[in-house]
Amino acid sequence: MSLFDNRAADRGLAIALIGLAAFIASQALSLEVPFSYDPVGPRAFPIGLAILLSILSLVLLIRPGENGEWPSPWVAVKLLAVLGLLLLYALLFQRLGYLISSGLVIAALARLFSASWLKAVITGVLMAIGSYWLFTMGLGITLPGGSWFG
Amino acid sequence: MFDFLIDGFGVALTPLNLGLAFLGALLGTLFGALPGIGPINGIAILMPLAYTLGLPAESALIMLAGIYTGAEYGGRMSSILLNVPGDAGAVMTTLDGHPLAKKGLAGPALGLSAVSSFVGATIAILGLTLFAPLLARTAVLFGPAEFFALMVFAFSSMSVMMGKDPVKTAIGAVLGVLIATVGVDSGTGVMRFTFDMPELYDGIDFVVMIIGLFAISEILLMLEHANRKDGDSELPPLGRVFVGMKEIMLCKWTMLRSGLLGFIIGVLPGTGASVAGAVSYTTEKRLSDRDGTFGKGDWRGLAAPEAANNASAAGSFVPMLTLGIPGSGTTAVLLGALMLYNITPGPMMFSENPEVAGGLIASLYIGNIVLLALNLPLAGLFARVLTIPRWVLIPAIAILSFVGVYQLHSDLTAIYLMLIIGIFGYLLRKLGFSLAPVILGYVLGGLMEENLRRALAISGGDTSILWQSGISLGLWIAAVALLVLPWLMGRIKAKYVSRAS
Repeated sequence: MSLFDNRAADRGLAIALIGLAAFIASQALSLEVPFSYDPVGPRAFPIGLAILLSILSLVLLIRPGENGEWPSPWVAVKLLAVLGLLLLYALLFQRLGYLISSGLVIAALARLFSASWLKAVITGVLMAIGSYWLFTMGLGITLPGGSWFG
Repeated sequence: MFDFLIDGFGVALTPLNLGLAFLGALLGTLFGALPGIGPINGIAILMPLAYTLGLPAESALIMLAGIYTGAEYGGRMSSILLNVPGDAGAVMTTLDGHPLAKKGLAGPALGLSAVSSFVGATIAILGLTLFAPLLARTAVLFGPAEFFALMVFAFSSMSVMMGKDPVKTAIGAVLGVLIATVGVDSGTGVMRFTFDMPELYDGIDFVVMIIGLFAISEILLMLEHANRKDGDSELPPLGRVFVGMKEIMLCKWTMLRSGLLGFIIGVLPGTGASVAGAVSYTTEKRLSDRDGTFGKGDWRGLAAPEAANNASAAGSFVPMLTLGIPGSGTTAVLLGALMLYNITPGPMMFSENPEVAGGLIASLYIGNIVLLALNLPLAGLFARVLTIPRWVLIPAIAILSFVGVYQLHSDLTAIYLMLIIGIFGYLLRKLGFSLAPVILGYVLGGLMEENLRRALAISGGDTSILWQSGISLGLWIAAVALLVLPWLMGRIKAKYVSRAS
């Protein structure tokens, strides 16, 4: 079962893109240009692109094409979980520090990609320590130590 | 005339650069062998680390080019062994490669494909050496108007050749160009689309863009593939990786033809390894498939796409080095990488940065020999990579992406931006877009606007300057012809068919 009909997805995209083109054009028109010797200025190029984009989007609206397969609801939930994990990783990266946040996220990701709990935890621990060693010792990258620990 | 090559070997043969060419070839083969991770992902993930090492421009480019050419070698492994293309260039390799493996000829199939990869790449590197300086000499005559026309030509050639849907290819390119307009306008100092966010004043960072677009979206895409079985999950018995003289002689004309074809397709702006593989396979099938053995495990059907995709990789360096117009998505990424070093490739590169142009070309010769040497005896070892489970691979890509972006700016905004671009890339791929036009648009967008404005500043706003010279007029005509001809041919064909019936 797919979440969207293929043609509907393309039509929705076309409408969104026309909206984007209108937004770009209005933003470009509102640019305040100081005196300049440049006969074109910063507005013309984005406006030209917005016009081109809206023409192309109209073609897409009239003749929607093939799409890839959309994920089933169950896969969509997993996708959101992966995205949530990556976001959580970003949030925790500086607070918990590289070692702990990476270990947790690696284990969770491994579990989401259907490793057993044991394998996931082992992967998390080994990969976090191994990569920390590689990045800091091998490549001289400074990684966050964790602000929550002072 | 070939002074640049002699100097180039001087650059490429230093121990550091030799080591980097070897490392790039090795890593590239590994990345190519892993299903789903093609040359662009490999380069996207490893590029930030190249900067961390503080490598000079030519050394970084030598390593990244090694990853590119290595990935074209590696892509064939999962095609042959698992019936899953390792990257876009190796799609056609599955057609005859996998049937051969099923017949128990996996070892010889790997051997022959390594040899044809080598032959294809060699033809194209020779072509690059001969052709690039000539083209650079012509391109010195290009002014801003000619460059603008050239970019229009590149985009129209890309729309026709790349992807299934020309409208979507064009939309992708426009979106890429739009992303390039974010930041301070260099002409007037006006902020465009920055929404008062200081992080956007310099525009959207190149590394953030390509890691988000390719690596993060790949993580999301792999989750879906994990639930679907598209190929065989067990490696067939490999046997000895060996190829006899008989098979090589059978395929010699196939290799030469496909190598030449792949080189030409590689040179055309906007077309890459996947087009080269498809065109050479269908050409070879038409020319030599007399007994209908293509698709059932024909040696020539295996040799053709492999020679062509490796040739196109080397060929796509021609427009990148001489005109600053990337021949493929991967060379667009390499072009962006060079621009981070404040080197804008173009006709002056052979005179202004000969160490970069010559060093790169020389390193391709060396890398190609290294790749053949690695791929014949070690193919079995590389094949083991295919058995790495996704639950190890995905977290590794994730932490490499995070650390790569974090170490550039040490701030989280870049990481959030990377995630947003990743979702954007995933949606685009789901909607049937190819990402290569987006990255080409993003890399060329700034140059395109700059050349347009420079041309119009010269003429005082008179737009006729854009098609006044013979070169630019020719490019405009070629661009329009590319867009109109396929449509016209379809019309004529339809008329003919309807009349015949």
